[in-house]
Amino acid sequence: MKFSLAWLRDHLDGAVAAEEMARRLTSVGFNVEVREAQGEDEVWDVEVTTNRPDAMNHRGLAREAATAGCGTLRPFATQLAEGAVAIGELARLTVEDPEGCPRYCARVIRGVTVRPSPPWLAERLERCGIRAVNNVVDATNYVLLDVGQPLHAFDLARLAGPAIHVRRAHGGEQITTLDGIVRTLHGDDVVICDARRAVAIAGVMGGAESEIRPTTTDVLIESAYFDPLAVRRTVRRLGLKTEASHRFERGADRAMARTALDRVAALILELAGGEVAAGVLDSAPELPPARRIAFSLQRLSAFAGCPIPEEFVLRVLSALELEPQREGDTITCRVPSHRVDLELPEDLYEEVLRHWGYDAVPAVLPPSAGGPGLRLGSWPVTDRAREALLAAGVAEAITYAFVPAEWDAATSGSPLASRGGAVAVENPLSARMALLRRSLLGGLVDAAAANLRRGATRVRLGEVGRVFFATDSGVREEERLAVVLAGNTGAWDETRAVDFFDIKGLVEGVFGEFAVRDALWEPAATPLLAPGAGAVVRCGEGVVAVAGRLADEAAAALDAPPGVWVAEFDLGAASPSIAPVFRPLPRFPAVVADLTVRHSLDLSWGELVAAVRACAPPWLEDVAPVVRYRGEGVGRHEVKTTLRLTYRHEERSLTQEEVNAAHFALMKALAERLPVSFT
Amino acid sequence: MSTDDLARVREEFLAALQSAGSEPEAVEAVRVRFAGRRSGLLRQLEETLKSLPKEEKPAFGKALNELKRFVEERLAAAQEAAAKGAAAAETVDVTLPGRRPPAGSLHPVTLVRREVEEIFLRMGYSVADGPEVEDDWHNFEALNIPPDHPARDDQDTFYLPGRLLLRTHTSPVQIRTMEQQRPPIRVIIPGRVYRRDSDLRHSPMFHQVEGLVVDEGITFAHLKATLEAFLKVLFDSRLAVRLRPGFFPFTEPSAEVDITCIMCAGKGCPLCTGSGWIEILGAGMVDPRVFAACGVDPQRYTGFAFGCGLDRVALLKYSLPDLRLLFSGDERLLRQFEGVRR
Repeated sequence: MKFSLAWLRDHLDGAVAAEEMARRLTSVGFNVEVREAQGEDEVWDVEVTTNRPDAMNHRGLAREAATAGCGTLRPFATQLAEGAVAIGELARLTVEDPEGCPRYCARVIRGVTVRPSPPWLAERLERCGIRAVNNVVDATNYVLLDVGQPLHAFDLARLAGPAIHVRRAHGGEQITTLDGIVRTLHGDDVVICDARRAVAIAGVMGGAESEIRPTTTDVLIESAYFDPLAVRRTVRRLGLKTEASHRFERGADRAMARTALDRVAALILELAGGEVAAGVLDSAPELPPARRIAFSLQRLSAFAGCPIPEEFVLRVLSALELEPQREGDTITCRVPSHRVDLELPEDLYEEVLRHWGYDAVPAVLPPSAGGPGLRLGSWPVTDRAREALLAAGVAEAITYAFVPAEWDAATSGSPLASRGGAVAVENPLSARMALLRRSLLGGLVDAAAANLRRGATRVRLGEVGRVFFATDSGVREEERLAVVLAGNTGAWDETRAVDFFDIKGLVEGVFGEFAVRDALWEPAATPLLAPGAGAVVRCGEGVVAVAGRLADEAAAALDAPPGVWVAEFDLGAASPSIAPVFRPLPRFPAVVADLTVRHSLDLSWGELVAAVRACAPPWLEDVAPVVRYRGEGVGRHEVKTTLRLTYRHEERSLTQEEVNAAHFALMKALAERLPVSFT
Repeated sequence: MSTDDLARVREEFLAALQSAGSEPEAVEAVRVRFAGRRSGLLRQLEETLKSLPKEEKPAFGKALNELKRFVEERLAAAQEAAAKGAAAAETVDVTLPGRRPPAGSLHPVTLVRREVEEIFLRMGYSVADGPEVEDDWHNFEALNIPPDHPARDDQDTFYLPGRLLLRTHTSPVQIRTMEQQRPPIRVIIPGRVYRRDSDLRHSPMFHQVEGLVVDEGITFAHLKATLEAFLKVLFDSRLAVRLRPGFFPFTEPSAEVDITCIMCAGKGCPLCTGSGWIEILGAGMVDPRVFAACGVDPQRYTGFAFGCGLDRVALLKYSLPDLRLLFSGDERLLRQFEGVRR
């Protein structure tokens, strides 16, 4: 918010130098972000937090400066000479809605001459970001910036009655505001009306009909206190923020409504001449009783962590006009109407502490709570998942949790992504961010495609993050790990294109990190993956992972080239830690024998191994593939698979004869069991 | 043909082998000449054996077998020597790149998060977790942000069906922690948060870490020391930490926390807009209204909380130019973090 240094100084006696004042204001919570010289004056951009509407004006900020030792706040006095005619003869006031408008004050000034404001005033307004209009309107804005009270001037001649009624709007009621826009009102909006119609939206903006024109001679000045919530709702409904609404919705000063009225009347007389009618229309001259807050000096010091002397506490609270009274250890304050933010003792601790200086509080580490810190919730699993990516040589990416509907459609065919409906964001930033993701693959494939377009020859990206599903009771979140491989793999002298066994190996490595055992790889029939080049992985009943080449349609929807390999793993199937249990090291040597089997392509490796194991003696330790041969001498739908069988007995050495016998028996049994041959 | 002829062949073989030395081609030529399968000398001698009279066969055969074994042994030795010699002659270009297994990299935000976690784990804090989809109570109301509160303007919210929303900060996990656990509490809560905002400095999705300490006798001095210790380990032990009064609905008093600008060491530069300070986190003493909302007795307990943007810390620590780059999945950026561990 913009302030004029000269204006601030108008409120202070013996003000300190600008530099010092800026430093002190910053240290008590009013960060002077920018200082800009403008002639003799300086314009300051000061950050005033939303809880301090009382400091969103020059006098309010000067009060803080004075409390911070930057000078003495000048007494506040207004002299106003009233004319003979009583206001009651010129206008009437009724407030039908004291809830929306707890206080409404008005004065009438007749015989003004509307003209441009003198340069000193126009300049001050403009330094603070308000355009000068004419002397009457400028006077209201000047007092607003001076003491924080929003004011509005009506052309009295254009108020039917002349009368002011404050009430809730009729639903659908219309008003043309000062900015020339026709606004349709809601039954909750508080409006100011004359005898016939709405002439202003309370606390937000006046109507164009009754605005001050060059020909205006008689004015009615409104100085009110509107309910912050009511103003806020209207602002939100209309999407219309003004200097006035900014203050009303944060809480204006109910007492100032009356004081500011005299100040603005005096200023209008000075700038525009005329005569002020005697008296004020005031809907609620009685102020509600001031809130009292009591606190213990001892508790204050204990809260701060250092002793804070009583004299200091009393001085600061007095300077803030909180009228502190001490009784033993207890200080009781009376909260003035401009401090809407003070309710609890802690609020007063803050008042004292920020003036004491946060830098003057010592730094003392808290005692330990005793136990060691632990990683809770899903952190142990998700962090381990990141370790798995790292071990697999994958670059961890973070992509947005929002996806466009096309990405969702392209990936939702996966059994992992169809565990519930997609969650639509009600107010998305754009259509590209319309849904919450059900799969990490959309964002990841998109990133991979971008890398390939930039000329990358090998892409190895992964992500650990949440996916979201609509459920009957709300939204379910699940943790996922996903990877995408594209382009080449291998070292510089032995490069080749990525294939299925790269992505499968990567997934197996991840499974190893999580002790996922008994994973069953099955050919996938999902629109996510290319037919014949993808797998779903089951553990028990459920699918825990998918892996394979992205189907052409999915790739097209994600704007990715063909040949992108993807995998996604449900971390819900992962256990966070595996403590290895020692297995005794083998005491007897192994005997290795290779076996080449010719068989149809329909027979999977998994089925072949299962059959081998079923036919072998219990001391068959391991079966591993050595080579798969297709080509010359092998039928078009056939393959020759060489298996390496490792035999090892736990309790004795095997003889070659024994192994040979078992091996031949195995071949015989295998040939009976499966359509295979050994030629 | 006699065994003498075999002795002569043996002499010839030895001579030829000697002159071949350890030249692989020459040794191979000797092998072909003497032990070649089709027309080597030994093969020819085998043919000769077949045509010998029956009584001469045993002696000749025996001598021939000895010769064959002798030739095989010597050839094998010569071949081995030749292979070694060849290997010695061919030197490896050690400046060629090696065959590295693929290296992984952690995202800069992960690196920063883990660094923060390590600092606090060592101080006895746990690392907590909570849902990213929240309800109004946990994200706003329990944090003393009632409906229509102006503070809601600062946190433009993404709304979801069923009166749900994407959490705008990690603070709701403070509430969940206090609802589930009695003091003493010492936790940090890292996580992903969402605000409806997108430009050079704002991303609709970003990361925060939040800290919460609740116990008897927790003071503002404790907050100050904790933040100083944290920021000095995270950035630089020489930097200064400054607390300025600020406002958050869920803390009272509240503080904005600045550190000496790490680009200019406090002299003033474009990064700190000339002030010498960078705003790095927000903090304060837990507002008693928040305690009351969670059923924690504000008469008995006090506490402090703080929150910090992890993405911003990553930007500062690694001199990254743009927040949005973090979420681009650009491997040219991500691979720069290969070998960085926390």
